[in-house]
Amino acid sequence: MKILVAVKQVPERDAQIRVAADGKWIDEGDLSYTINEPDAYALEEALQLKEKNGGEVVVVCAGPERVVSTLREALAKGADRAIHLEADDLGERDTLGIARMLADAVKGEAPDLILTGLQSEDLGLGQTGVVMAELLGIPHATIIMQVEVVDGGVKVKRELEDGWFQHVEMPLPALLTIQSGGNRLRYATLMGIKKAKTKETATVLAGAAVARAVSLERVYLPEKQKKTEMLTGTSAEVAAKLVEKLKFEVRVL
Amino acid sequence: MADAGCVAVWGARLPGVILLSNFQISATLAEPERFSGLEMGLLVACVMAAGGLFFWRFAPILNRILHSKKDADFSLRPVGRRVWEFVWEVLCQAKVIRQRPLPGVAHAFVFWGFLAFALVSLNHFATGVELGFLTPDGVVGRFYFVFAGVWALLVAVSIAGLFVRRFFVRPVWLGEKVSYESGLIALLIFALMVTYLAAFFVEPGGVAVKALWWTHTLALLVFLPLIPHTKHLHLVLSPLTVFLKRDGFSKIPPLSGDEDFGLVAGKDITQLISLQAYSCVECGRCTEHCPASTTGKVLNPKEIILGMRSYLNEFGPASEMALLSEARVESPDNPPNRYMSMEAAFECTTCGSCEYQCPVGIQHLPIIVGLRRGATNTGAWEDTYGTKLFLALEKNGNALGLSAMERDKFVTKQGLPIFDGSQEYCLWLGCMGGYDPKGREIIADFARVMSYLGTTFGVLKKEKCTGDPARRLGNDLVFQTMAEYGLKALEAAKVQKIVAICPHCVRTISNDWREYGIAPEIEHHSEFMARYKDRLPKQVAAAGESIVYHDPCYLGRYRDVYEEPREIVALAGTLVEAERSHERSFCCGAGGGLAFLGEESGERVSHVRAKELMETGAQTIGTACPFCNTMFRDAVSAVGGGQVQPQLLDIAQLTARALPDVKG
Repeated sequence: MKILVAVKQVPERDAQIRVAADGKWIDEGDLSYTINEPDAYALEEALQLKEKNGGEVVVVCAGPERVVSTLREALAKGADRAIHLEADDLGERDTLGIARMLADAVKGEAPDLILTGLQSEDLGLGQTGVVMAELLGIPHATIIMQVEVVDGGVKVKRELEDGWFQHVEMPLPALLTIQSGGNRLRYATLMGIKKAKTKETATVLAGAAVARAVSLERVYLPEKQKKTEMLTGTSAEVAAKLVEKLKFEVRVL
Repeated sequence: MADAGCVAVWGARLPGVILLSNFQISATLAEPERFSGLEMGLLVACVMAAGGLFFWRFAPILNRILHSKKDADFSLRPVGRRVWEFVWEVLCQAKVIRQRPLPGVAHAFVFWGFLAFALVSLNHFATGVELGFLTPDGVVGRFYFVFAGVWALLVAVSIAGLFVRRFFVRPVWLGEKVSYESGLIALLIFALMVTYLAAFFVEPGGVAVKALWWTHTLALLVFLPLIPHTKHLHLVLSPLTVFLKRDGFSKIPPLSGDEDFGLVAGKDITQLISLQAYSCVECGRCTEHCPASTTGKVLNPKEIILGMRSYLNEFGPASEMALLSEARVESPDNPPNRYMSMEAAFECTTCGSCEYQCPVGIQHLPIIVGLRRGATNTGAWEDTYGTKLFLALEKNGNALGLSAMERDKFVTKQGLPIFDGSQEYCLWLGCMGGYDPKGREIIADFARVMSYLGTTFGVLKKEKCTGDPARRLGNDLVFQTMAEYGLKALEAAKVQKIVAICPHCVRTISNDWREYGIAPEIEHHSEFMARYKDRLPKQVAAAGESIVYHDPCYLGRYRDVYEEPREIVALAGTLVEAERSHERSFCCGAGGGLAFLGEESGERVSHVRAKELMETGAQTIGTACPFCNTMFRDAVSAVGGGQVQPQLLDIAQLTARALPDVKG
């Protein structure tokens, strides 16, 4: 089975994010980057499926030169091949644009299964995988906790709300978006890093950005604010006002 | 010379004393004067047979040692220290005696006796072909035979004592299995001495002289071929092992080349490791002091060394067969390797007691850490906690797995200055100092001490773990990343001097980082404070307070710092010693990355040590390592029950509590 894993490189969680001067993107200056966590779980799922059923794991990542480090790490953990989809202008592209880029790049690979993280830690849109599946014309399932290969397809466990799960069987090829925490991640090893040096990383130049369907108006840091409002009146009145505010303004009741 | 004089005087008196008895005694040794051609032929044949048997058994061992992988980092330097250690540990038997005085002295007598006997034995065989060079008639011969006679007596008494110890007292450390070969060898040594001494008491020229001579000869010749395959091989190898051992305590050698991941299979065993494995004398001192072995865990350092030897015997030094049983790939042509297990290798706290105690120069830590490297660097070690630790180090840069922002918050809240090049010291926080509540208290107090002394200091804006737990758990990838990050950060900040509260940080930065670069000079806060002890307040009011000091492994055995923290403790109260202290201190259980792994099997190491510290009745336990402190915090309440529990304070806290309260 040929499994393709689409990963994204995102700023490290502890990074101090600054908005770029034009207010349209973040200042990438001295940020350090790492693999998007749900994508790390997608990779882990792919590696475990390969260990169980054999096959090949190809990892693909779009972005500037820096994403090669994430690809190398994926190779070190056990992926067989990597594709670097070189593009310096990810900030200019919307989800549809990026999904199209990825879909074009993987079409030739004709994988049996495409895995990607449920969502990214930076934008958190959760759309890329789904749109990619649509563009490729293959079925998809989201928020996957477990994948099991069955005759002619896969059986997956989806996470629903309130602790419910849904078990679905689907044909291949298919695309799954993987939820964090379903598996235990593995650590990178020295042997893996050394072996990764001999593995192939193909660089594919991404096509020029096309007109965006969604445009980004402004990037800004969440604003913190503290507001204090004194409620006045008798105890009963204050209590009534408080309940009303908790119910309709804060909406916690 | 004084000793020799004494012996000579005593020797001269010997005949007088013995004349009181009814025996006809000569003042000197009786030796056969004539040997027939048949006898000489027989002697030559016996010597050749014994020598041949010896080499027949010894050659494959030598072969395995020589055909092991070369130690890439081996260097004979510093020769001076090697010579000194050889004189002190081998010739003077210092370590043998110091750590086990009674059997140690007995062993030393046997050893020195053997040295004294070298000349006698040579002459003995020479006599057999009528070429003897020491004669009872000559002055030298007369003196030397009596001199050797005194040693013979000491050896006979000592070996008898050791025989009684091994077969009747039976210390558990010698192993469950009784070694009958050791008994046979003890008897042979006893026979050698008795036959030698008896020759003083027989009439020259008689049949008895010949009989004694031949008995002595045969005992020696039977002994020789028994050496190579028993623990008595240490007679031949251990002087060399002590001389050649790696320079430095617990020194982890750098990996060499792209195919080296540590001790994965036989092909990774180096010559030094082979030599050490064959030198083991099975005395069990390593086991006796091992915090894992003595608390019911699988690990037994002696079995690791003997396992290495058995592996070499069975598979040889070129084998691809995995060294650790769990790492073995199951297949019909892969016979089970029962010698060493991954479970055992990962139970080691790297406290270093085994290596410190070993009298024959075996360095257990490079071997145990080497086995871990082999397992971790190849991904064969799968452990939930271990993986979590490595991922935390990769992602967060600290062993506690907290967001790096937590350290920033602490630094800001505590008002710790950022190192900007103008201050004298860089205060290294470490994972415990930067993230752990108790570690932070220690840092805060030590910062107060530094301010009180008027020493300027600052902390790095960003700091990651030194990589110590990754290093000890055999993850070279994470360790290298951490070391390189730290070296770069210190260089960029232009740090000249570092001080740290954690002995693990101190050891790793000063020693292990050398593989990737030279870090600025670093010291432990105990060393720093001891230098200023005259300017620190002596706590008169607390003089009645008894404080038991626990030696952290990485400060004591690893860094040889024992007195400095005690000087600080003595300022704060009355210093009390636990049953095991200084170089014999017992581990808290946290080292070697074990603080971050799961539940231990058997009794908890920290509980055993906490109990021992509490049995001193001290009101306070003084620590000098934030890991020990954390381990004891839980252990004290667990073993203390409902009783009044001792306080648990770091030496920085013991000092800071007497400082005037300065605010703002």
